[in-house]
Amino acid sequence: MTAALSIIELRKSFGPVQIIRGVSLDIAEGERHAIIGPNGAGKSTLFNLVSGRLAPSSGEVRLRGEPISGLPPFQINRRGLSRSFQITNIFPNLSVEENLRCAVLWSLGYKYVFWKSIYRLRDVRERVEWLMERIGLTARRDTQAGVLSYAEQRALEIGVTIGGSAEVILLDEPTAGMNNSESEQAVALIRKVSEGKTLVMVEHDMGVVFNLADRISVLVYGQIIASDTPERIRENAAVREAYLGQAQH
Amino acid sequence: MSARLGSLMPWLALALLFIVTPQILSSATALTMTSLMGVMIIFALSYNMLLGQTGLLSFGHAVYFGLGGFVAIHTMNAVIHSKLPVSIPMIPLVGGLAGLAFGALFGLVSTRRAGIVFSMISLGLGELVSSSSFILRSFFGGEEGVTTNRAKLAPFFGHRFGSQLEVYYLIAAWCFFCVAAMYALTQTPFGRMCNAVRENPERVEFVGYSPRVLRLIAFCFAAFFAGVAGALGAISFEIMNAQQLGSQQSSLVLLMAYIGGVGSFAGPIVGAVIITFLQITLSDVTNAWQLYFGLMFIGAVLYAPDGVVGWLRMHLRVVRRGAAWRLAPAYALVAPALALAGVGAIMTIELANRQLAQARSEGSAMRLFGLDVDASTAWPWIVAVGLFVLGASGVRLLWPRVGEAWGDVNARLQIRSGA
Ligand SMILES: Nc1ncnc2c1ncn2[C@@H]1O[C@H](COP(=O)(O)OP(=O)(O)O)[C@@H](O)[C@H]1O
Ligand SMILES: [Mg+2]
Repeated sequence: MTAALSIIELRKSFGPVQIIRGVSLDIAEGERHAIIGPNGAGKSTLFNLVSGRLAPSSGEVRLRGEPISGLPPFQINRRGLSRSFQITNIFPNLSVEENLRCAVLWSLGYKYVFWKSIYRLRDVRERVEWLMERIGLTARRDTQAGVLSYAEQRALEIGVTIGGSAEVILLDEPTAGMNNSESEQAVALIRKVSEGKTLVMVEHDMGVVFNLADRISVLVYGQIIASDTPERIRENAAVREAYLGQAQH
Repeated sequence: MSARLGSLMPWLALALLFIVTPQILSSATALTMTSLMGVMIIFALSYNMLLGQTGLLSFGHAVYFGLGGFVAIHTMNAVIHSKLPVSIPMIPLVGGLAGLAFGALFGLVSTRRAGIVFSMISLGLGELVSSSSFILRSFFGGEEGVTTNRAKLAPFFGHRFGSQLEVYYLIAAWCFFCVAAMYALTQTPFGRMCNAVRENPERVEFVGYSPRVLRLIAFCFAAFFAGVAGALGAISFEIMNAQQLGSQQSSLVLLMAYIGGVGSFAGPIVGAVIITFLQITLSDVTNAWQLYFGLMFIGAVLYAPDGVVGWLRMHLRVVRRGAAWRLAPAYALVAPALALAGVGAIMTIELANRQLAQARSEGSAMRLFGLDVDASTAWPWIVAVGLFVLGASGVRLLWPRVGEAWGDVNARLQIRSGA
């Protein structure tokens, strides 16, 4: 069976500095995969390469066997890969409802349609209601995204990411900066919305990672030093030294 | 059903307004003015498809207005020449299609990037087309421009559009159609994604859309409607010249949209009406009217960035929630000072204008607010500058009261909406 997402010998340099140094990774259909690693290891850069925000220096990314590296982000998104951002990246002056509407339009086939009223599209309305319900922002539907609380903005970020029903979802530090109860809610939300999908997620909170992931990859200085089940990763000496040990200090 | 009717009400009101206006304002000058307002409403709304809706600041939108107008006027002359069965009401469509064609062509170049790059390219294209009007004299008609006679086209159900009243109704009909169409566009998937591009073009790419394609489509629509406006202008005045596509016209449409307010659909409509009115009336009263426009623009940018409609909306919200009583005293306090400063500023500008620009040819004696004064003597200047300084210091002194009142009002409204 072809993997949902394969990364093959991926490299990225900024000027003389190589940040991603030959990453190879296969992620199976339906898997929940966490990527952990110290700050500056290149996790966000890896997501940027996979989602088309950056073009790789060399190597390849395949989505269900189809090469996608070098394509612009919207092409990759249309092929079924969607991502969230570490730094919230929404439409600040649009309401929660409009943010979500923008997220679902393309996937429901409305593309550049300029001859239909947006308020008469039943499938769009239903999907937006469903999303708002899921991310718990129904009561805030008319609020401008820019004035939501931090946790609410993070929830909306996830809502916008999953709005287009992509099969492969990348989440970049979805719980960063949240307190415990917010983080728990976010995990529950991620669990719900990733059902039946392939999820790749960068996460710092080890509780979240071990709780949610089927498999974990450890990225250190642009290389994957281990990729395994949570139990094995916990026992892995190299990982302890490079990352988990560090985190305890 | 009743919700539908409710949403139709503003449109019925607008149609009614368009129909009865010439019955009330029936003089020749009023008709010319309202006709021009109709043209400018379309033009300003088309501009706001770029600026307000899509976040594209163009410095060359008059190119599409002007080219639409020129193609329209040449079409009219060709129709007259070959006696084709085409009548006047079809001509704006020709202008629109011309605008669309040039919009698609120039849009391909300019919408690759947003932001400053887009603005600079729009400026460059504007200059390019402007300067080519000196070279392509047969098309642009040189200094005199190109003229036509609209009454020579085939009649439209007996109408030859010889009178300004007929032209007014033609413009009103097209204007109504264009306003409705442009409003409808804001309510479509395309229109909503234009807003998204304005807000955050990067994220747009990650929900499946190409910001570039969205910008290009928006640009084409804006150019189409600008072309319609240009053609209506050509029909109304029966002349087109290169000024109509130059940088002054491009600045004018920016001014109209901005003064009215780019943040709401109605803003540019209001702006077009106000600016057209001022342009015609002010240019009769003073020949420093462009200076006043400049000051108005600076004032709007600094103190009312949401324009007239934004300002009204902000206050309407307060009035609706019953908090106007808190603002009124502060405003009443500042208003006299503001008026004083305004009068002082106007006097100073007029004196300067007389003394510096016109004294040689027309002498330094003038009438100012009903008084005979001599701009070459000291007293009028002392009074003018004195009034201005007095008013301005008053405003400075009293403005904090307005700020306090607003702080209070906002706090109250917040408490109430939070509860
Ligand atoms: N666009 C860029 N240009 C130059 N350097 C970059 C760029 N993006 C990331 N980097 C560098 O790459 C390294 C990895 O960054 P990042 O992928 O954000 O790390 P992580 O997400 O793992 O914390 C950092 O040293 C960062 O400074
Ligand atoms: Mg990161």
